[in-house]
This record gives sequence, C-alpha cells and structure tokens, in this order.
Amino acid sequence: MKSAAQPAQIPTSFGNELRACLRCRLVKTYDQFRENGCENCPFFKMDEDSDLVNEGTTPNFNGIISVMDPDKSWAAKWLRISRFVPGCYTLAVSEALSEDLQNICEDEHVQYVPPKRV
Amino acid sequence: MPRHRDEDDDEMEPDEDEYDPDQGLDDVDDEEEEEEEEDRGGRRSSQKRRRSSFIDDVAEEDDEEEEEDYEDEDYGAYRGGGGGGGSRKKSKKKPSGADFLDLEAVVDSDEEEEEDEGEDDFIDSGADIPEEGDGRRMHHRPLMDDQEQEDVEALERRIQARYAKQHHTEDTEETTDVDQQALLPSVLDPKLWMVKCAIGKEREVAACLMQKYIDKPELNIRSVIALDHLKNYIYVEAEKEAHVREACKGLRNIFTQKIALVPIREMTDVLSVESKAIDISRDTWVRMKIGIYKGDLAKVVDVDNVRQRVTVKLIPRIDLQALANKLEGREVVKKKAFVPPPRFMNIDEARELHIRVERKRDPMTGDYFENIEKMMFKDGFLYKIVSMKSISTQNIHPTFDELEKFRKPGENGEGDVASLSTLFSNRKKGHFVKGDAVIVIKGDLKNLKGRVEKVEEGTVHIRPDMKDLPKTLAINEKELCKYFEPGNHVKVVSGTQEGATGMVVKVDQHVLIILSDTTKEHLRVFADDVVESSEVTSGITKIGDYELHDLVLLDNNSFGVIIRVETEACQVLKGVPERPEVALVKLREIKCKIEKKLSVQDCFKNTISVKDVVRVVEGPSKGKQGPVEHIYRGVLFIYDRHHIEHAGFICVKSHSCRVVGGSRANGDRNGDSYSRFDHLRAPPLIPQSPRRFPRGGPPNNFGGRNRGGRGHDGLVGTTVKIRQGAYKGYRGRVVEVKGTSVRVELESQMKVVTVDRTCISDNVAITTPYRDTSSYGMGSQTPIHPSRTPLHPYMTPMRDAGATPIHDGMRTPMRDRAWNPYAPMSPARDSWEEGNPGSWGSSPQYQPGSPPSRTYEAPTPGSGWANTPGGNYSEAGTPRDSTGYANAPSPYLPSTPGGQPMTPNSASYLPGTPGGQPMTPGTGGLDMMSPVIGGDNEGPWFMPDILVNVRNSGEETTGIVREVLLDGSCRVALGSGGNGDTVTVLPNEMEVVVPRKNDKIKIMGGSLRGATGKLIGVDGTDGIVKVDDTLDVKILDLAILSKLGQS
Repeated sequence: MKSAAQPAQIPTSFGNELRACLRCRLVKTYDQFRENGCENCPFFKMDEDSDLVNEGTTPNFNGIISVMDPDKSWAAKWLRISRFVPGCYTLAVSEALSEDLQNICEDEHVQYVPPKRV
Repeated sequence: MPRHRDEDDDEMEPDEDEYDPDQGLDDVDDEEEEEEEEDRGGRRSSQKRRRSSFIDDVAEEDDEEEEEDYEDEDYGAYRGGGGGGGSRKKSKKKPSGADFLDLEAVVDSDEEEEEDEGEDDFIDSGADIPEEGDGRRMHHRPLMDDQEQEDVEALERRIQARYAKQHHTEDTEETTDVDQQALLPSVLDPKLWMVKCAIGKEREVAACLMQKYIDKPELNIRSVIALDHLKNYIYVEAEKEAHVREACKGLRNIFTQKIALVPIREMTDVLSVESKAIDISRDTWVRMKIGIYKGDLAKVVDVDNVRQRVTVKLIPRIDLQALANKLEGREVVKKKAFVPPPRFMNIDEARELHIRVERKRDPMTGDYFENIEKMMFKDGFLYKIVSMKSISTQNIHPTFDELEKFRKPGENGEGDVASLSTLFSNRKKGHFVKGDAVIVIKGDLKNLKGRVEKVEEGTVHIRPDMKDLPKTLAINEKELCKYFEPGNHVKVVSGTQEGATGMVVKVDQHVLIILSDTTKEHLRVFADDVVESSEVTSGITKIGDYELHDLVLLDNNSFGVIIRVETEACQVLKGVPERPEVALVKLREIKCKIEKKLSVQDCFKNTISVKDVVRVVEGPSKGKQGPVEHIYRGVLFIYDRHHIEHAGFICVKSHSCRVVGGSRANGDRNGDSYSRFDHLRAPPLIPQSPRRFPRGGPPNNFGGRNRGGRGHDGLVGTTVKIRQGAYKGYRGRVVEVKGTSVRVELESQMKVVTVDRTCISDNVAITTPYRDTSSYGMGSQTPIHPSRTPLHPYMTPMRDAGATPIHDGMRTPMRDRAWNPYAPMSPARDSWEEGNPGSWGSSPQYQPGSPPSRTYEAPTPGSGWANTPGGNYSEAGTPRDSTGYANAPSPYLPSTPGGQPMTPNSASYLPGTPGGQPMTPGTGGLDMMSPVIGGDNEGPWFMPDILVNVRNSGEETTGIVREVLLDGSCRVALGSGGNGDTVTVLPNEMEVVVPRKNDKIKIMGGSLRGATGKLIGVDGTDGIVKVDDTLDVKILDLAILSKLGQS
C-alpha cells in the first residue's frame, strides 16, 4: 500500500468540462476521461466509448479534494476514497450510476454505494 | 470487493482470485453455513457464539493485528484469500467481517451489528449474489485446505485480521453511519490547515498542489480540499504546519501568511458536503439567484440532470408595453433600474397590444404553452429553463404571502400540498414530539388524524384516531403535518409572527388563522410554525428599547404609536389625524421614545391629559371614545378597546375631542395643590359621577376616578342626613353603600358609621356645599348644562329631596349654612334653581353672568362639583377650589361677584378662625377647612356675634357666640340678647339660628365671610342680603347666613 500507485491524471482545466466519475468520484476533464478512462474504474471502459463518459461521470459535483497520499490521509479515509489512486476527487456527487453501469460494477465485484440523498 | 480492486491497483495481480476456477453457484446460504462450520471447525455451534468468540480473539490479538494485517494482505493476495474474504463478506456470514469492523469501531450495541448485517446482506443479495457465490466458494475451498494444514487458531486469527482490514477497505465505499463513526479523526491523523488562496482559484490550487506532489513526492501533505462554498480558502491536510508551508511555497495563488489549524472536532464538518448534494426534484421550491427574477420564488417543474438545467415556474415580471414596443421595433427605452412587478401574464392583454402569441404544444409533456418571444407561459405563469446553478435550493422558506400568490385562483389545494414537501424538508429536528396532533397529507392514509407516539429519524409513529386501524402506524415525517382545530390555543414558534399566541379560528389545510391575543388581529401562519400552548403572550412586545404602545419619534420627524411588534420591525400608527396611517418601521428608524406629559385642550377648551377619557366628536373616528394614551403636538392617541384596527388606537386631533366626565388631571393642572393634598383628594370625583352615570360612560372612567373603586352607587359621595337612630340629625358623606346599609362619614365627628339606607334622607345635597358648588361650578358651568341634559334628571330628584329639609325645618339648613364657608359667595338663587326642577327654565337668569367664566368653567367641572364633599368636610374639595381660584381667578370673578372679595374674604375669615389658621399650610380656601383637619371642630362655621341655639342637656336656648376657641368650641353668651352666662359649648351642641327676612345677619362663608348685612328676602334656600358695608345686594345661600346676635 505504499504510494507506489500511479496517480491519476490531474485535471488540466477548471471550467465546465470538469467531470467526476460517479463511482469513485475521480475528477478529470471530459477529454481526459474520454481518452484515458477512469483510473479507478477501468471496467467502465470510458476510453473506448465516449458515451460512457457521459453516462459514468457527472459535471454536477461538490468540492474538490486532491488526495496525495490516500493511505495516510484522514480525509481520504473519511470520504472512503483511500483505496483509490492519488488524484483529484470530489467530495460528493449527487447522482447515482445508471443501472447499466451498476450492473457492470456487479459484474466486476466492485461495490457501489449510491450517494446519500438527503 | 474493494479488496479486489485494491489488489488490482496495488499488486497488479488483479483477477487471480476472482477468475479462479469457477465453481457452480450453490445456494449461497448453504454455502455460508458450510463455510462457517468449516471455519470454526464445528467448534462453535451457534452463530452468536461464533461471533463472540471472534471478538474475543480479536481482543486477544490486538497487538498482533497490524502484523497480521500485513500478513493477511499478502496471504490474501497470493492465496486468493482476498477473494475468500470477499465471498464471505457477501454471504450472510460475512457479518463476521462486519462484526469485526464494528469491533474495531468500538461499536457495542447488538442492534447496530444487526443492522450492519442486514445491510450487507441486502447489498449482497441485491447486487452480486451469483458472482459472489462463485468468488466465495473459490476462496473457501483454499481456506479449508489451509485450515487443514495449519493451526486452526492461527488461521482464524489471520482471517479475522484480514477481514478487519478488508472491512476498512470496504469503508471506502460503504457508508453506514456506524462505520463512519469509526473514521472520526483522532489525534494520530493528519491535521487540516486552512490556507488562504486567491479567490476563484480554489480548485486550481488544489490541482496544482496535486501536480506538485506528483512531481515532488517528498512533499509531506496528504490532501488538499477546495470547497465550492468556501471562497478564498483551501484546506491542506498534513501533519505539520511546516509541511503545508513547504508544499505551498512557490505557488502564487496561495498565501501562507496565515495558516489556521482546524480543530479536530471540526474536521468532519469540512468534509460534510454530502447533504449539500443538489437535490432538485419536481415541485421543489427554489429561488432565482440572478436576473430580474433574483430572489423570486420559483417552483421546479422539470429537471434535466444531464444538461444541468431546470424548468421553473415563475410569476412573470414582464412589462407588456415595453415588450410590445420592442416587438414593433420602436425605440426601446432601456431602464435597467426598473424591474416590473410580478404579475400573472394575461394573454388577452398581450394580444391587445398586438404581441404575437403562439400556442404550442410541448412535445415532452404534451402541455400547451403560450409562446411570446420565446418565453413560455401557462396559466399566467412563466416557464423558464434555467441552469441549475442559477437557482438556490437550500433553505428555501417561502413566506406565506409568496405561496399565496403562487396559488392561482382555481388551483385547488392539491398542488400546494405536494409542494409542501419543500416546506417540510426544512423542518428542524424534533419537529414532531410525542402527543402532537397530526394529520396525514399524502398517500393512502391522507387525512387520517392521529397522535404522535414515537419519533424516529424521518419516521413518525402515530396512533390513529380512527378505530379498526393498527395501534400505531409508521409514517414518513414528510407526509405528516401538524394538525390543529379551531379553538386550540397555540403559540407561534417560528416565522415572522414568532412568539405570538392566539386561538385558532380557522384551519385551511396547513394554514391556520389565529386570532392573536394581543392585537386581536388575524394572523395567518403555517401549522408547522405553531405549537399548542396555553400560554398567553403578547408575542413580542419589545423591540429594542421600545415597547408595544409606546409613542415614538421617527426619523422623518413623524411620530406614532407602536401598535405591533414583529421580529425586526414594528408597525406604527402615525400621528396623522386625517386618516389612519400605519407604517412598518425598522428599529433604527425610531429616533426615540416620547414620554412627555403634555396636556392639550379639547373642543371646549377643556384640558385633556393622558388617561382622560375623551369622545371624538368629529372627523372619521367620530363617536369613538376612550382614554387618551398619548398626547403629542396636539394629536391624541386614544385607546378604544372596541376599535379593532390598529390595536385599538385612534389618532385624532385634540380639537376633535371632548373630554368625557372631566379631566382627571385637574390635579395635574393644579399642580401643587394636587400633589400636596393628594391624600385629601379622594372624593372630588364623586360629584362627577352623576354626570357620568346617565351617560353610561365606560367603566374604566371610574377606576381612576372613583378612587379606591368605591361602590358605583350614585349615593356614594353625596351628603346625606341621618333621619333616624342614634345618629339622627347628623350629616355626613356617604362613603360606601352595602346593600341596604350605608356607611356615612359623619361631618361632625370624623367617624364613619353604618346606618340603614332608609334612615337617611337622601341628599341633603341641597346642602350648602352644593349651593356653593353651583355658585362656582354649576354657575359657571351653566352654559354647559343645556347640553348636558342627562344631568338634570338625575339631579332633580336630588334637589327635591334635598330641598325638603330646608323647607320643612329651617333649622337644619340653617346649620348647614352656618357651616358653609362658601355661602356668601354663592348666589342663593343658584341652588334654589337647581333645587327646583321647575326653575330650570329660568336658569338663564344667572347664565348671563356666567359666560365669561367659560374658560374657567371648562376646566372646573371636576372641581366645581368636587366642592360638594369639600363643603362637607371632604377635605379635598377645598384645596381644589382654592386652586381653582388661583388658576382662573379672573374669568371666574365676573360671574360671581360674590367671589371677588374672595381673597380678602378668606383673609377676613381667617382671623375668625384662629383655630384653623395654624393648621392650614396653604391656600385660603383650605384655611376655611382647616378646623376639620384640626379635629372635630365646627369652629369655623361659627363666628362671633352670631345667634345660635344651644342644646344643653336636652334644653335648647339661644345664645350669642362671643368667641370661637381654638378647639372649635365656642364661648357662647346665653340668652337671645347675650345677657346670660357665658358658657363654652361644643360645636355639636349648637346650631346656627337661621335668619328670617329682615333679620340682621352675618355671613359665615364665602368671600364675604364675616360681613354683616340684612336679609331682605328669602328665595328658597337663597337669601337676598344687603351687605352693610357696601350696601350691595347679594344673593347668598341661606346656609351660610346666620342671624346676628343683638348684643
């Protein structure tokens, strides 16, 4: 669990094109997702189908946290992103994965917890 | 499963476990059971026991845990143990894993454990049972093998440890509150530091730091947090402040001058933004953030999450005329400052202005919209598609008015109730408490009423009122609304009316109409905002230093009375008499409180002071009546409790009012005497009562005036003569009427006796004092009398009765006269005429004399009448009169020539009453009375040289007073010629001899006191006297005349 993990891409711009992965909350630009997919959720294969980027990410998120050291960061632990690669994440997304993608998660044995609705 | 992923990530050995030889999917439960049994080696038979033993194990092996973790990890990795863990987790037994977690989290309640289990199960079964089955199985097999080979205990330990670890992993994705609790920051965790950064660059800075870390991994920061709602700051997670500085060095958007440590307790708050997740759904109330609709309430009708757009329904702010101009290409006057008021769109109006209106059908919803210039309208509302960012959704508290406006006529309550959900979502915790009456407003059970039994988070258990229903029902909080019935007494606990109490008079769904206790106004409030309460408060009655009903000076030099206090402002009834003008005034707009005690004059130039009861005689408020609360700049604020508006306050010009029943402030006006003789003042008011009674004046008149709230019987305060019994012949003032008995304060004895009502001759009133009164008061008041007709009916019988004794036996009256110091002043006619109803017609006789005194009379009504008791020893009368003289001597004089020599008179009197003089601190008027104060002394009534009848041991002899002694008794020379013995006689043993026509007389009271003259005629109770010195002819009350002894 050393920080040997390759960090995710860092967003290159901060405008409207920023999107967050609905599963792991990784934040990148739309183009980054389209080209490289999500580092935590490769099984979504966003890099293969740009429609999946729209489906699996959202521009509607709240706050950004750059996690340098997921293992040691309390914030990452608290946000339950300590198992992901270092990178920029969001604190919260307000949407849930589409059913299709949720099914993919099932298939991949990865757990998905939809955001809490208040 | 996270485990898998982790492994993938970290070890790059991703799928080993998962894709291991696939086992067929057995029944999961069976599998689990099997496994467990296997795991435990059948040692534990029951789940529970198993679990607890697990726990024990863990406890024991705490120390080793870390190591174990490590090991486990590896183990799992190469053994597929991870997979096994996964499978276990998924299975029901997996609770064991969860339990571990709980353990670590120091979770102690079984319930929670159970919950965890439940949830795990749920997730598992819902999501990945089939696959899981595979995975688990796979794993277990190897585990089993291990088990066989290794020490069972050790294996167990490892498994546990691994699970524990795993659980942590799981944490990242699973968010039960319990788990989250386990993650609370400890002292060992890195700290959060708040660092200033350039505004708007928060996200960028966070990313920059990330990039920097990637480039220079030796940086000792853990994470950087940029919150959307916190501008100008970011948080950096690091062990030491120095690390933060180090990391931030060289970044121009970060300012490290001040780095603040976030207290450990607040760390979670920083990250608690989940709740802020935008939750826009249909029928949510939102507010516009920008544009001309900024701040306006809107209702969400559609949400497009993909494009981040929302369709909202608004009340349009459209200037149709301007729109028309624009469409026709006319010059468009751009007035930025002008925002049209919200108004429902009237399509017909638009058409009249030749604005093109297209009717289109929305392809999505199938609804028809009127389209004007790309704007969509329906039912008068504007439907607008806006970005989610341009609306605010948090803490929207639509006010009552807004909602009211939003409800178009014709739209029934249904829609409203739906949108209530927004209102309800803003409810505070603990909104419902046990015992609350509630009504279900949504769902199948709609309109079911009940009582709250128990409240859980989000769920309320209610006991329905209806029979045949389960004892309690669990209902979502949002489907419930507090319920009140008309007649409930409630208190408003939130909103603008907070603090007010009142009675529910109408219930309209969730809206209550309350009759406020204080203002008696109707308040409209949400049922949510009130609680049942028997408390009666005025609501808020204070704002800053000001209180309800205070008179305040406002900014713009206007003034008014605070008639209602709200949370941050108050309503002021302005001092504009023409029309009621109410202004909503903020605290800072109030300059000061006006507390001046002023008095003004009414339409008859009577003085009005605060608390006087006045009647409005002209203007819009004509006919209203009530006590004056405030006087300022010639404007009165009258409180009429029958007046419903403006908290009962009426604002009128003083000249439009008339004092009712005399000004209470006579005393005030008379300043000194009032205060000085306050204790003596009691009865003055009584005489007024006769006037008021017929008028039916408000009872509160009395409260103040009839000091001490003596009975309201008209008899009280009048002077009576006792006709029978031990006190026969005594006169006194009635102090109280109790049933058939009357308590009379005897004039001659300064004591109060109780006699039967039938034993008194009602109103000896004719008694001198009254005459006096008339000479001062009545006489001068004459002009008023005609208009005060009601007065007479009352007085008439009084006079009659009173007159009787006079005519019957002259003696008594004689004595009266003797007592009355004022007698000389009062033209005898006055009293006679008053006494004789028939003679009213002739009253003009003296009226001519009075007019000049009007000014005097106006203020005197009280004092004039007040004399009566005064004459009868009622102490207060005197001071009043005297002050009367003092204040208004000139107008007074012409009307009563007798009064002219008043001053000399009292002076002349004084020598005659040596006893009195020393006692009298003040005015001449009082001097005359002083003997009273001195004691049982009738002295002053007696004067040297007058003829008296002395009752001595049953006999009656005449005598001539030679000297009046200090104690009030007289030295009397017996015999009609004064030739007999000189004896000392107590005042109550003698009576003045009433003079007859042509008798030489001496005047015992009034301004001419001490003068001698000749009685040249008798007219009723008045005597016509030719005064020796001046040869003037005066009409004086017989009561103050006495026959001069011929010595």
